[in-house]
Amino acid sequence: MTKPRWTALSLVTVLVATAGCGGGSGTAPAATADLSAPKEKAGTLTMVTKFADPEYAPYFEKVVAAYEAANPKVDVKLEQVGDQPYKDKIRVLSASRDLPDIYFSWAGDFANKFVRAGLAADLTDVIGPGTPWGSTFAPAALKAFEYGGKNYGMPINLDGKYMVYNKTVLDKAGVTPPVSFEELLSACDKLKAAGVQPIAFGNQYGWAAIHYITQLNAYGVPGRTLETDYNPATGAFTDPGYVTALKQFKDLVTRCGTKDANGLSHETAQAQFLAGKAGMHYVETVEFDVFTKAKPAIEWSFFRLPAPSAAAGDKAALTGAPDGFLVNAQSKNAALAVDFLKFMTTKENAAALTKDNGWLSPVKGSATADNSYPQLTDALADIDKAASFAIWLDTVTHAEVASAYLSGVEGMLSGSRTPEQVMEGVRAAAAKAKKEVG
Amino acid sequence: MGALLTRWRTWLWVLPAVALLLVFVYYPIVDNLRLSFFSWNAFSPEPRFVGLDNYAEAFADPVFWRALLNNTAYAVVSLVFQAGLSLVLAALLEELVGKRMRGLLRTLYFIPAAMSITVAGVLFSFLYNPRYGLVNAALDAVGLGHLGRAWLGEESSAIWSVIAMSQWQSIGYTAVLFVVAIQRIPREYYEAARVDGSGAVRTFFSITVPMVREMTTLIVILTISGAFLVFNEVMVMTAGGPDNSSQVLGTWLYRKAFFEDDMGYAAGVATVIFVITFAIAALQLAVSRRRRYDT
Repeated sequence: MTKPRWTALSLVTVLVATAGCGGGSGTAPAATADLSAPKEKAGTLTMVTKFADPEYAPYFEKVVAAYEAANPKVDVKLEQVGDQPYKDKIRVLSASRDLPDIYFSWAGDFANKFVRAGLAADLTDVIGPGTPWGSTFAPAALKAFEYGGKNYGMPINLDGKYMVYNKTVLDKAGVTPPVSFEELLSACDKLKAAGVQPIAFGNQYGWAAIHYITQLNAYGVPGRTLETDYNPATGAFTDPGYVTALKQFKDLVTRCGTKDANGLSHETAQAQFLAGKAGMHYVETVEFDVFTKAKPAIEWSFFRLPAPSAAAGDKAALTGAPDGFLVNAQSKNAALAVDFLKFMTTKENAAALTKDNGWLSPVKGSATADNSYPQLTDALADIDKAASFAIWLDTVTHAEVASAYLSGVEGMLSGSRTPEQVMEGVRAAAAKAKKEVG
Repeated sequence: MGALLTRWRTWLWVLPAVALLLVFVYYPIVDNLRLSFFSWNAFSPEPRFVGLDNYAEAFADPVFWRALLNNTAYAVVSLVFQAGLSLVLAALLEELVGKRMRGLLRTLYFIPAAMSITVAGVLFSFLYNPRYGLVNAALDAVGLGHLGRAWLGEESSAIWSVIAMSQWQSIGYTAVLFVVAIQRIPREYYEAARVDGSGAVRTFFSITVPMVREMTTLIVILTISGAFLVFNEVMVMTAGGPDNSSQVLGTWLYRKAFFEDDMGYAAGVATVIFVITFAIAALQLAVSRRRRYDT
């Protein structure tokens, strides 16, 4: 009868121990993959993405098939896993130094960890600003994968965070799209008075709140301070703007959201918005497709989360970031990997990405009236205007800091922590992260 | 010569199983203990020896204690329901319910145990949904709407809601185990009790409870060790939130290892889980050995 217990215990220990295999293999190797154009396009490429969702996966399968058809001597082994399993898988592969030739990464410190460990190839010579390939991308998207002045990633999509609104619901309540944070709060009061939930907001897993904080931090804290604090080697988080941002968010949830937000998933909140029971919903552009396909159809548009009038930071910053792919620095096929990525981001394939997946591509001129819809092209125009991307707080910061923010903000929403206490936790996590990266 | 050959042959047969155990059970346990003395993550080029720092950090971490407390709460509630209430349920099934109904009810009680824990978790997430969930709707329907809440979204109720789901799923399973134990009790004892004028309650405490003692011990041990290894239902329903209020040791280990990249700390938590479950296993061995000597 002890068998189940031993089996479960072994699983726990194997889980941790497996991730440790190879962990002690010397110091970080230099990221010096040979990226010169392959003499002959032949060999096997391995690639792992996090796009296993049935609506996204076929695009990557199609591109792989097209590349193999054009290069018969190349075999691309594509593996696609889900969002959460990917985070586990890539860590185990990194620990065992068994990364594929091409692998997915979020922008920010998630990607920087691979760079620091010598696991991401320096792509500056091929994709850096001014190179033929690099010139085809929106500069802000390329910059999201820059570390220490070098380029380590190829952006695959453009993602911005916008407040989507239901025109009919807002019109009925006599509300026009607000242009300041204070106006947004007043608009919420009007919508509430009209018997409508102002903003549909579900924060079951914590990240939905973090996206608001990302934007409010960008508005309330000077850019240079943010850069210093988001870097694990220098993060201190002492600027009063961080507490202000949390207070503003708390106000927003009190007046526009619901107190049961921690118990609602983002999807449940979205369903509420789609059903016309809420006036606004804060979403990523990659989710826009849902609103165009809504049945019954809704009349919708979007605006940026407006900045508070007394904002000390960058009022032109936009929350969002491209997702991207990194090339394994130890890959023997790094040059072939780069060739494949170039193929994936030809204008034709980038346009197909927009058409098939409803994503904006960072490749210039890839979104047209033929392959997108008005809201998507408007978003692209707005992203182009953004001075910089405020990268998701839970991927731009060190994992310890991200975790402190995620749980702290959940606590603030449920009333067990004050904004000051949340920041205390963040500062403690930042100190630990600093110690870890030396 | 023959004896020697037999001994070698015995070893030959046992060797594959021993090898598998060594590689997949004992090596990970020992290596996990070693790794818990290092600060390392999936990206660190070289683990750094930190001695007992990971343990010191865990013991100073309120979330670690919260997780341990949640595991303990899980164990206590599970004991009450899966060792106590399910025995009452089994006795009722055997003593008071007619034969035809008995089979049907046993099946009904057992069905949740046959369901995947992930499916059950998702199902209960819907039931607990503060807007569309059946729990709040049911409370509303009986005039207790003021008790409605975001069951999985509030720190005060999240872990209890997960524990409640777990009881729903497991009580039928342990009740069936008790039914088997009750069926092994000689009927003569019950008849004698009835002749002596013993009522149902007295019969339950004087005959049923002592006669299913072995099964009770087994279920108690399984329930407690299961409560310290719980992972899936918490992960599916709350992922340890909000604000780490529903973390258990398993999910805290996972978060530290695969979200915060703190593998050394996670290995330390794994060692704590090992020590607790090992102690329970040792207790089980000691109790069952003593019982063998008693009989």
